[in-house]
Amino acid sequence: MTAEPRSVLRLEGARFRWPGQTDDLIAIDDLTLEAGEHLFVRGASGSGKTTLLNLLAGVNTPTGGTVQLLGTDLADLSASRRDQFRADHIGVIFQQFNLLPYLSTLENVTLACAFSARKRARAMEDSDVPTTARRLLEALNLPPSFHGAAVNKLSVGQQQRVAVARALIGGPEILIADEPTSALDAENRDRFLELLFHEAEAQHCTLVFVSHDPALADRFSRTIELRSDTDDARSGRADVAP
Amino acid sequence: MNLLRIAFKSARFRRTNLLLTVFTIAISVTLLLGVDKIRKESKSSLLNTVSQTDLIVGARSSPTNLLLYSVFRIGNATNNVTWETYQDIASQEELAWTVPISLGDSHRGFRVMGTTTDYFDFYQYGNGRALVLEEGERFEAVYDTVLGADVANELGYDIGEEIVIAHGLVSADFAEHDDKPFTVVGILDKTGTPVDRTVHVSLAGIEAIHVDWQDGGRSAVTLNAEQALQLDLTPTSITAFLVGLENRAETFRVQRRINEYSAEPMSAILPGATLAEFWRTISTIEQILFVISGFVLIVGLLGMLTTILSTLNERRREIAVLRSIGARASHVISLVLLETLLVVTAGCVAGVGLLYGLLALARPVVTRRTGVNLAMTWLDSTQLSILAGVIVGATLVALIPGIIAYRRSIQDGLALKV
Repeated sequence: MTAEPRSVLRLEGARFRWPGQTDDLIAIDDLTLEAGEHLFVRGASGSGKTTLLNLLAGVNTPTGGTVQLLGTDLADLSASRRDQFRADHIGVIFQQFNLLPYLSTLENVTLACAFSARKRARAMEDSDVPTTARRLLEALNLPPSFHGAAVNKLSVGQQQRVAVARALIGGPEILIADEPTSALDAENRDRFLELLFHEAEAQHCTLVFVSHDPALADRFSRTIELRSDTDDARSGRADVAP
Repeated sequence: MNLLRIAFKSARFRRTNLLLTVFTIAISVTLLLGVDKIRKESKSSLLNTVSQTDLIVGARSSPTNLLLYSVFRIGNATNNVTWETYQDIASQEELAWTVPISLGDSHRGFRVMGTTTDYFDFYQYGNGRALVLEEGERFEAVYDTVLGADVANELGYDIGEEIVIAHGLVSADFAEHDDKPFTVVGILDKTGTPVDRTVHVSLAGIEAIHVDWQDGGRSAVTLNAEQALQLDLTPTSITAFLVGLENRAETFRVQRRINEYSAEPMSAILPGATLAEFWRTISTIEQILFVISGFVLIVGLLGMLTTILSTLNERRREIAVLRSIGARASHVISLVLLETLLVVTAGCVAGVGLLYGLLALARPVVTRRTGVNLAMTWLDSTQLSILAGVIVGATLVALIPGIIAYRRSIQDGLALKV
């Protein structure tokens, strides 16, 4: 692969506060993530984890500083272009309830291609979109018997794996996961993380993983910690060497 | 997977709520279209009470009054037309035919009308439909009568039965022409016009029952039915007459000449124009009905708005998921609009279906009871614009929840807590 010297993620003096707030909810002075690195964001509830994810996904824009993804400053884009950027380059996994109850398992995965021509094109490189989706589901230990099933027939762990498949289809550069294991027991959590890492590596995808659980930090090359006392929210300080 | 499919599947998932909304809208649409249909049918039925008659002529009076007594048998003529005047006008060369009518007597609440057998040839209603005898034949003898469908039906008369005509319009024992009974020789088919409620006799019959009457009472000298037949039964006057012209282009000229007739003050009216004028005065009720059904529709649309707003809460997660995979503001708003469009279109289709179902059921009953023929015609342009208005209106209304949904999705961001 030709290595492009382009940061996947770059935050400089990024600040965010809601209108009317006096303190910054997010204050990250410098954070750069190169391709292949995975970031663990640790923080207790109320520490601004969710806000940070919204900034990274382009749902909100910083009130100060810059947030760059793949060399693009999200603040330069219009709201609908930011949405399109997210559709094309980012996969998102929530804590739970990632899936639309009125679509089948397979349809939930292919849905990601409905809003992105880029993902659709990349999912069709080898075959068609449903076949790619099936391959991803099987790689995530979801055999074909589940593919046509209603998603509410699946266990929570299975649902989260479907969410991973949807986040990964079409090869986004960045995968944002917000406490995706919080609804899983320890055993399931470890298996889930194993699969998540494996598939992210296979797709050359940078993982940004948010959790309150410090026990997971070991698996990541980079870690930042958000403190609920927002003035102390620092980036880089808690970096762990790979 | 396009947005329409997502909207469709999402709506199907929440179908219980939405079906109720579809039902509400269907009822409103049925009501609105139904009122419009009834309004049009009753209008065309009224306007078609007389057809192919170019002029109606009577003694000088207001056009509506002349129309009411000559066609609808409502009210009375203030004056009669002398037989000489009638003969004089009828002989004018522009006139193709005339049918004299003589009113004033009644039979158990139904008006008795004296006329000639030409009436059965020239009186037409609807779109040029002639009178048809359901049974029997036209009157021929002086004491023959032909009954309208309602008269025979309501009073249970059959061919051959004898009936007694009352003098004037109120049936009372002392004022009956009971010495000269009439024999039912024919019964007409239902027409949906005042003909159904009329007892038809010959002009000579009217004359015969009045030969021994003077000033509304029996004269001292009485003549029995047989004796009356010996007299000359040519009437001295008639109430009005219907006119058909050789050439319709002459209508206004003939009308003016009759209105300016010097020997006697006369009025000639154009039945179509006077009927239309008459309709305008009584159509207020229908307009009120139409406005009310418009309000019913607005209530239906507000109900839909309420339903959609209440479903937004349970759709927050759905919208957050769609936003996370890149759905834009326009997608979120479109999703709500598409759902509304689906619901309203389903409501309109169901409403139209309900309307035609009801029409099919009501048609035989309505035709039998009123003679109004509810035509099973396809929706006309007004009704199609009503439907289009409903759909456009609903879509505009749905912009409100659409925008609310999007603004909420911005607040919620990606990590919506349960």
